[in-house]
Amino acid sequence: MTVQVQLFITCLADQFFANVLKRMVVLLERLNVQVEFPEAQTCCGQPFFNTGFQSSAREMAKKWMDIFARTDGYIVSPSGSCVDMVRHHYPELFPVGSREHAQALQLAARTFELTQFLVNELQVTDVGASFPHKVTYHASCHTLRGLGAREEPKTLLRNVKGLELIPLTDEETCCGFGGAFSVIYPEVSQAMLEDKIKHIQASGAEYVVALDPGCLMNIGGGLVKQKSNIQAIHLIDVLTADYQP
Amino acid sequence: MNRRTLILDDIRASLGRTVSASPIAPRPSIVPPRVAGAIEQEIEKLIQEVNALKGNARRVASSDLNVALRELVRAESVKRAVLWHTPCLRQVDEVLCTLGIEIIPQDADKHALAQADLGITEADFILPETGTVGLLSSPDKPRSVSLLPRVHLVLAARQALCADLHDVFAQAKSHNYLVLITGPSRTADIEMVLTIGVHGPQSYHLWILDD
Amino acid sequence: MTPAIDFRANTQRVAPQMIRGVQLATQRFLDNRGKLVAELDTWEALRQAAHEIRLHTLNHLDHYLEMLERNVMAAGGHVHWARDGAQANDIFISIAREHNVKTAVKSKSMASEEIHLNDALERAGIRVLETDLGEYIIQLAGTPPSHIIVPALHLTKEGIAQLFRDKLGVVAPADPARLTEIAREKLRAEFLNADLGISGANFLVAETGTLVLVTNEGNGRMCTTQPPLHIAIAGIDKVVPDWDTLTVLLKLLARSATGQKISTYTSFITGPRRADGENGPREFHLILLDNGRTKILRDPQTRAMLKCIRCGACLNVCPVYNHVGGHAYGFAYSGPIGSILAPPIIGVQNAAALPFASSLCGACADICPVKIPIPEILLHLRHRIAEGDRVDRAVTPAIFRTTMAGMARVMSIAWLYRWGARIMRIVQAPFRRNGWLPSLPPPLNRWTSVRPFPALQNDFRDWWRTR
Repeated sequence: MTVQVQLFITCLADQFFANVLKRMVVLLERLNVQVEFPEAQTCCGQPFFNTGFQSSAREMAKKWMDIFARTDGYIVSPSGSCVDMVRHHYPELFPVGSREHAQALQLAARTFELTQFLVNELQVTDVGASFPHKVTYHASCHTLRGLGAREEPKTLLRNVKGLELIPLTDEETCCGFGGAFSVIYPEVSQAMLEDKIKHIQASGAEYVVALDPGCLMNIGGGLVKQKSNIQAIHLIDVLTADYQP
Repeated sequence: MNRRTLILDDIRASLGRTVSASPIAPRPSIVPPRVAGAIEQEIEKLIQEVNALKGNARRVASSDLNVALRELVRAESVKRAVLWHTPCLRQVDEVLCTLGIEIIPQDADKHALAQADLGITEADFILPETGTVGLLSSPDKPRSVSLLPRVHLVLAARQALCADLHDVFAQAKSHNYLVLITGPSRTADIEMVLTIGVHGPQSYHLWILDD
Repeated sequence: MTPAIDFRANTQRVAPQMIRGVQLATQRFLDNRGKLVAELDTWEALRQAAHEIRLHTLNHLDHYLEMLERNVMAAGGHVHWARDGAQANDIFISIAREHNVKTAVKSKSMASEEIHLNDALERAGIRVLETDLGEYIIQLAGTPPSHIIVPALHLTKEGIAQLFRDKLGVVAPADPARLTEIAREKLRAEFLNADLGISGANFLVAETGTLVLVTNEGNGRMCTTQPPLHIAIAGIDKVVPDWDTLTVLLKLLARSATGQKISTYTSFITGPRRADGENGPREFHLILLDNGRTKILRDPQTRAMLKCIRCGACLNVCPVYNHVGGHAYGFAYSGPIGSILAPPIIGVQNAAALPFASSLCGACADICPVKIPIPEILLHLRHRIAEGDRVDRAVTPAIFRTTMAGMARVMSIAWLYRWGARIMRIVQAPFRRNGWLPSLPPPLNRWTSVRPFPALQNDFRDWWRTR
């Protein structure tokens, strides 16, 4: 029976990482997954929730849930923080016993971050990818701590042909994005980013891989600022390196 | 309504009740305590832990006690000493006198006690896991003896060995005072540079007596 | 009244020495902690037990506080209750005056920093000397602490040497050992001559009415042994049921704080001395401080922060704290725990900046020995600040709420969202440089002042439709 996946593209990837989303579709289809895209989706509400505007977040959550409740199969996203929002915070937004709360629990159980979906649900650790480069890995906070995806991304990376995985000093330390944090306290965000860039440069890698569009925007911009040749890419880019969107 | 009542009422209201909950919910289970190894291993562990913390721990045979005391007194330039007033330490008192050390009575006032270079106590409890000794308090076992002098010597008997903090506490809780001492006083408050010897003793010796 | 904390302004003027000092300390503590945690296979079991013990205690806080009080009194001590800092300070001053106190020696107490005890005592004509070396140094320097465990991190040994020369009038080389000896000499006479010893409490054991003090220097022992009068102040959240539960917490505390198995001195004090011939104070008073803790208890979503055992591990691991140090938080407690304690203790209006001083990375929750879900509490406090709730009115001006609600509305309407994206693609085109936008107008200039903003790459939906 074919596995069915509903794409949860996330507002940041939608706006800034269209190519990552295209590659995600290609990757899943190569694995014989039937991919659907509920086009009415916009944003899961995380930016509002994280800044305290829970009533706005609640409205957006209801909208998101309405759209995805009408679908079947897995809901898969390339962003750990957005999946964390749905899995952990959606149920908190609605009173226990309410229809929305029950709906949130059901949807949370179907919603997965990509690497956890591949490794734990599809039982796939090697997608036959080839990427003969030096790569280092930054563990995005919500993917790591929110979802507990410590091993899945690295497992996938280790099985990529020709890829040399170089350990990153302070791999698990936050890059300084934190959503609105980056514009509320820009000086602190900058200091955190500079440390992360310093470690990436010291690693000797050509690419740094992360699993959250927020981290990629932040680290990518930081590397450009330092005039570095190192590129910040998504794990999906590594797994579909042969595909040109 | 006094403050005590206000605070307690507030606490109860916060917890959604007006009186103490009765019966009290069962206490959460505690992680099982450490089990002791063989005695000689325990003593080795104790010595290792204390020395790692810049203390000076070793075994001393009772027959060597006099010699050990003479060496300590010389090495630490001791002129005056104060001891716990316990049967085990009476002979130590005598030895020190023969070495010409001035003994300050343990019931002297704090200013006099503060003149002592060396303070000698026994150990009421020994915890090898962390290199810790436990001292109780009484008029014969003043707290200041392990605190005011710049050198602190503990004479420990094997009987005082305990496997775990639980064991120490089970015995000590009925007393009005206990101090757990683990090495000499220390600080890293200035640029994280470890400095031994702050307000408590600067030099710490632990002798495990072998009978 | 404390003015509102301006965290951003504070972070814009952090001294480089603060950062150097902070990072040196936190790295050392984390490394040492890491080694000890690795060799203890019961670590997670201890954390779980500690969480359960603390939660159980909070759920029966009234019961354990009454038991504590009974036992302290049975041991010959006195117990006082203070709603807030002003009451606590009054109690201190009144006891001190009864006993004609001229000089007090003080061992570290975070609760006393919360209530600005030293200032109150000085105003009442009582000389107070901090005796913990780091606290002694910052008292001389007149600066607040930069870290819960090592308060003088932001000062160099040269700076401290100069401080000693200026304030103590002594020859002082820039050598930590020599500086420590100077402090030892100066404070020794003070310990022996003080009328009053002040301490905090790391724990208060209800079973026997016992105060537990965890120190390394010996000053805690000095303050609670030499003066004839001892007054301790502690938050009502410091109580633990009994000695058995205490062992769990002690096994976690030193390891989490500094990466030691146990501190040099752990004292267990039950009332004043029992006999005239015994060392120790003749009289013992314990002040139990509320100061916002009952308010924290009342809200089930903030209650968990009262489990805190003040180890400082969350500070050590926090990337924000490691880049700004303690002073930026403007409060007795800094770092993650400071950010959640501040709003209930000094008011949500004054502390509104702090719950946002976090990227929500979650490292603090992972390291907390008593499993406080700090990011969850931060989110809850952010909600209180942004929208208000039963506990506090919103702090964020209404205009923000209206704007956010409007944005949420726009973003929920799919066609509006998609057309907005199309328009943005056109608008940003002239500003693109190699796939990035190096500068943007406010408020996004806050982003581009640090690094370029990515150019829009939003043709996925078109791609999907045409495949």
